[in-house]
Amino acid sequence: MIGFLLRRGVGALSLMVGVTLLSFCLLVYFGPDQTYSLLGKNPSAEQIAALRLQLGLDSGFFERYWHFIGQLFSLDLGYSWSSGERVVPLLLRSASVSLALLLPGFILGHLLALALAMVAARFQGAWPDRLISTVSMAGMSISTVVVIIALQAWLSSSGQTWFPVRGFSADSLGEYLRHVAMPTLALMLVSIGYHVRIYRAVLCREVNQDYVRTARAYGAGTLAIMFRHVLPNSLLPIITRVLFSIPVLLVSGSLLLEAYFGVPGIGKVSFDAITNGDQPVLLAVVTLSGVALVLIQMFADALYRLADPRLRPGG
Amino acid sequence: MICLALLCGCGEKTAPPPSDKVYRHAMDQATVNLDPASAATIYSTFVVNNLYDTLFMYKYLQRPYELKPNLALAMPEVSNDGLTYTIRLRPQVHFIDSEVFADGKGREVTAADVAYSLQRHFDPKTQSQGAWLWQGRIRGLDQWAADGADYAQSVAGLEVVDEYTLKIHLTRPYPQLTYTLANAFSAVVPQEAVDYFGPEFSRNPVGSGPFKLESFDTSKAVLVVNTRFRKLAVDLEAEGYNPAMHDGSGVAAIEGRTPPFIDRLEFHFVPESSARWAAFRRGELDFTLAPNEVLDLALESTSPPELAADLKADFHMRVAIEPAVLFNVFNMDHAGFGRGADPAQAQRQHALRCAIIAGFDWQAHNERFYYGLGEVFPGVIPPDVAEFDPEMSTASIERDVDKAKRLLADNGWNDQTLPTLQFGVPSSVTQRNIFEQFRSFMMDIGYPRDKIVLKQYATFGDLNRAWKRSELPLVNKGWGLDYPDAENLLQLFYGPNRTPGSNDGNYQDDQYDQWYEQASVMQPGPQRTELYRRMNQQLVDDCAAITGLSRTQVLMWNRRAIAYPDRAMVGGHYLRYVDIVDPSDS
Repeated sequence: MIGFLLRRGVGALSLMVGVTLLSFCLLVYFGPDQTYSLLGKNPSAEQIAALRLQLGLDSGFFERYWHFIGQLFSLDLGYSWSSGERVVPLLLRSASVSLALLLPGFILGHLLALALAMVAARFQGAWPDRLISTVSMAGMSISTVVVIIALQAWLSSSGQTWFPVRGFSADSLGEYLRHVAMPTLALMLVSIGYHVRIYRAVLCREVNQDYVRTARAYGAGTLAIMFRHVLPNSLLPIITRVLFSIPVLLVSGSLLLEAYFGVPGIGKVSFDAITNGDQPVLLAVVTLSGVALVLIQMFADALYRLADPRLRPGG
Repeated sequence: MICLALLCGCGEKTAPPPSDKVYRHAMDQATVNLDPASAATIYSTFVVNNLYDTLFMYKYLQRPYELKPNLALAMPEVSNDGLTYTIRLRPQVHFIDSEVFADGKGREVTAADVAYSLQRHFDPKTQSQGAWLWQGRIRGLDQWAADGADYAQSVAGLEVVDEYTLKIHLTRPYPQLTYTLANAFSAVVPQEAVDYFGPEFSRNPVGSGPFKLESFDTSKAVLVVNTRFRKLAVDLEAEGYNPAMHDGSGVAAIEGRTPPFIDRLEFHFVPESSARWAAFRRGELDFTLAPNEVLDLALESTSPPELAADLKADFHMRVAIEPAVLFNVFNMDHAGFGRGADPAQAQRQHALRCAIIAGFDWQAHNERFYYGLGEVFPGVIPPDVAEFDPEMSTASIERDVDKAKRLLADNGWNDQTLPTLQFGVPSSVTQRNIFEQFRSFMMDIGYPRDKIVLKQYATFGDLNRAWKRSELPLVNKGWGLDYPDAENLLQLFYGPNRTPGSNDGNYQDDQYDQWYEQASVMQPGPQRTELYRRMNQQLVDDCAAITGLSRTQVLMWNRRAIAYPDRAMVGGHYLRYVDIVDPSDS
């Protein structure tokens, strides 16, 4: 396994060089330009030239790229042009908030979706399957914004005082749960439909396999078949789905949830960096998403081997 | 368990003690930078003015706006030639305690700090957005910057007479100087803090204002009271208290008391209007601008604006004209719409601009995008500025499609000859709607649909760059007044300010420039007002811009707060006067 990971690591390195080069290229040539915003209302041509020089915008492409690579290796990505804050602490702080916000919904959403998909697969074609599929489709069709606005409107008008309309607090476990409950509910409502549809498709394919019929013929119970045979054999696509949701969670967070519920997470930081043309933050976010994806890919490959004996050497 | 572990990394505890008076102020945009040198927006201004001191500030209740001393002991003494301003500071004003000071105790604010705070705007390292307010105005300051911005070198125009006295020597009279010293850009900072924190000074404010920062992120800034803030009792009469206007707000209760009255001031950044409104209705926020989307629910009527009956029990409301102008300026450098290469072409293009102006329907624009609450006026001087001319002809804001068609026909403009008009907007649904409405107006006067073209930019920064590079024929923008003097708007058309300066339309006229230069050194008075009005009329006669509209803001606040909110010139300074009736409602 270690040898396998090392080989994948070497391959990933070249992929990461490609990712950083491409993202750097895109941002340098097509990224937003903050020069004029940084200079206020009445800049002179000389001030613009001086600022561009100061920000290194007039340096050659490769000079800038090597500087950026140097920053990456030293884990010092400089300062945000907008806020003046160091980029690395900014991202660490906001990513931890995003995780704290999204993790409950992420875990519960996947678990609930899996459970519903198993019920649907077990009763394929019958009313439970039809009901779950229809509700999932409806969930997929409703926009995230609509779900959030409806929840907040209800919170505002219902008179209940348990959950705040917006805000985020980590002062205590109770406060955390109070603030995270509604975003979690919103996240589950909007994501569960997608998960159910995918998991159901995977599980349905599996329950129609010959070995399931054989197991039934041997008198195995439904639960035993589903949990001991069908689920393990469906793990590869499920692992893929779960793992590849993580970079999105880590890097872009959930912009809409953060924006509407007033959570200082990484989605908001990324969005602000895009709209403000904050290149140091934007570069860090884009590069880290690429790196996270590559690492997740490696991790997924390793998990595939653990989950499926056929993928192991000599398997 | 993972979530619990993450919680440890989510920062300090932020909940206030239940007995604290907490005021939660919602803002429709965020600020990301608390360095006064970057306080270019009303959002930054609100926070900065509560963390730092400016020499002067606007009186809480006086309208039209009027300045009063803040960190300064009195209004400045101005020399007869208008070139020297002597400013005396209040003694015994201290910066907050901070690690940046040798013993951790905040030291006294001195005249040298004021000089430093102005000087650093000209240091390229600061990346100041406010330097333009003093550019070419203070003797030796621009040269100091050109010579390398060495703080060991003194600036002739910033003479520190003693600990509490600063003399500012100007290159030419600058009647607006005192206004600029009430602006958040001019807030007084200690050099130790700037040197200690470097770029991160923007997140580590060390001021002498009524509050100090407790926490700051993308969703809110939490300030707590600065217990060392000077004790000065409120004199409501001096603040411009008018019982007829202010009685309902309850501000009479603060007479004679010493601000600040609240323990904790929270700025919540909530751009999403539905979330802001839901949180405000629920009582989680104490102040908001009523979003346009809810005005039909919030208001019983718009003329005159009256709060809906079901909201009256819980909320106060007042409407105020925003001291800003929305307009569309023609780019005079543009081959199709500009001043033209020869007199004949100049006349044709003048007619084309006038036709476009005549075709623009301000009333419909106001109704569609500002709920009919905006104030439409001719020229660029808005009604809430003293130099506004109520007698000025309104012909330039009245739609006249026949006149527009006639102008086009008489000057040889037709489907084939009309130039393509690229309408630049940042990417948003509202901006797209504004474009569609503009195109429909132009089609009414005979402009071919395919010649009014949308040019979308991913961000406002990109659009701003296009304006500054003079790439678009029309600059559709808003300008918020930095001070209540029409000069701040008229400089937008002053020739030497052409792009990349503030004159985005590259308007150039010798007569206009001469009037501007003449007026810019004059103290307020009838003569100067006359010059301002002449310039304003010339802009209308030249058809230099489709103008103008000032938005009307509907300010709403919870009845538990004693306040008379202002989202304009007072710039957040008023928050020290806010009180909470019943803290247990927090």
